[in-house]
Amino acid sequence: MEENLNPVYKNKAYGQYRELSYSYQDGGKFEKTVGFHGEADRLILQQAWDLFQERIEDARQRVLSGKASPVVYYMEKNLLDPLNLSMMAGISLWRVKWHFKPGVFNRLKNKTLLKYAEAFNITIDQLRKVD
Amino acid sequence: METKTIINYTHRQAGHCESGATSNLFKFNGLEISEPMAFGIGNGLYFSYIPFLKIQFAPMISFRNLPNTVFKRSTAYLGIDATVVKKIKDPEDAMNLLDRNLENGIPTGCQVGVFQLTFFPPEYRMHYNMHNLVVFGKDGNMYHVSDTVMELPQLITREDLLRVRYAKGAFAPQGKMYWINHAISKPIDLKPAIIKGIKKTVNEMIGIPFPLIGVKGLRWMARDLKKWPKKHGDNKASFYLGQILRMAEDFGTGGAGFRYIYGAFLKEAGELFDNHQELLEASDMMGKTANKWREFTYMGARNCKNRSKPEENYGTLSEKLLEIAAGEEKVYQKLKKIKF
Repeated sequence: MEENLNPVYKNKAYGQYRELSYSYQDGGKFEKTVGFHGEADRLILQQAWDLFQERIEDARQRVLSGKASPVVYYMEKNLLDPLNLSMMAGISLWRVKWHFKPGVFNRLKNKTLLKYAEAFNITIDQLRKVD
Repeated sequence: METKTIINYTHRQAGHCESGATSNLFKFNGLEISEPMAFGIGNGLYFSYIPFLKIQFAPMISFRNLPNTVFKRSTAYLGIDATVVKKIKDPEDAMNLLDRNLENGIPTGCQVGVFQLTFFPPEYRMHYNMHNLVVFGKDGNMYHVSDTVMELPQLITREDLLRVRYAKGAFAPQGKMYWINHAISKPIDLKPAIIKGIKKTVNEMIGIPFPLIGVKGLRWMARDLKKWPKKHGDNKASFYLGQILRMAEDFGTGGAGFRYIYGAFLKEAGELFDNHQELLEASDMMGKTANKWREFTYMGARNCKNRSKPEENYGTLSEKLLEIAAGEEKVYQKLKKIKF
């Protein structure tokens, strides 16, 4: 029932996934059980994904209104921060932040765009616009 | 490339990705070692809190040791001939080496990143590069993979496997792989390895004179937790708390789960040492501490439910953590004093 209320758990894969966990009863007995996650786990996962969705939506709005470049959107969509993005794309942190400006992004060479596209696992055409 | 090699490797689900893989590899080579045993001997237990390093927008908290510690230490302490290839520059070389191992009938463990792992449940796909899996078969372009977090063995394409093995970011796997060279024929005495493992873990949890590691790190985190609502506001404090709980509960049963596994290890060790009374007592204490971790999660999760209106006082949560820290410290001090 709860699963239906929860957008993260709507996907098909969730129903098939069970986890092994240990527990302890007084009297010195450790038990292994295989089962679905409890309510507490769902709450904290839900919280994280709510925050990520908020950030992605916020980034999308900023890109659409011309305040940021698509790099920001794809960065948020891949749950990255600028430092991790610079590590993944192999571009220095300073330059990554510089590329957040739409004007700068539009002048970028294909070579640099390809680095970003590879880091996000998409094509250059997709990188130029947000979906 | 029409090759088909599938090794007769038994997949067993486990609580912790690396100790599960290690235990499965041992069992494949003819040494019956349970998952808690591999976890305990290989020093899976750990704690570190690094507030100035942010992962997924919250402070980094780690309940586990550096990747590959469990496999490396457990093979070293047990005196088993194993190979660890730390870093392979060319991805093609790494895949060829894997293929060659499979042809020779050696199941091989790999360190991978979780974010682009295709069979992983989507809600868990975050940037976490310390996951482990064992590759045990190849069928054309598909690889048969045993991931101990999943219930059943999985299939993955060559391109996807290459991508996760070369995931970038913090603690990048860089194609790291490990395997056991020969089947283990001679009987192996676990006792010396257990003693070494316990001593090392005790040292790592209370012996390191650095405030962010082990029990000291736990206390530091408890004190910081109290300050978060004032310092960052309720929203952010709740998210930071969520990060602690996610690390404690979700990623591969998480930190609280590891305490159960360690307790189970102490119990097994105690039985092996002819019902060693002190080890059994320590195991009981560890189990009780682990139950406290669970209680802490339930208390904390209520704060995450409604972010702007915390239901639990952060002071209470902090006290609970301090209580846990005291409980754990007692266990390690008890273990430190035991004479075998």
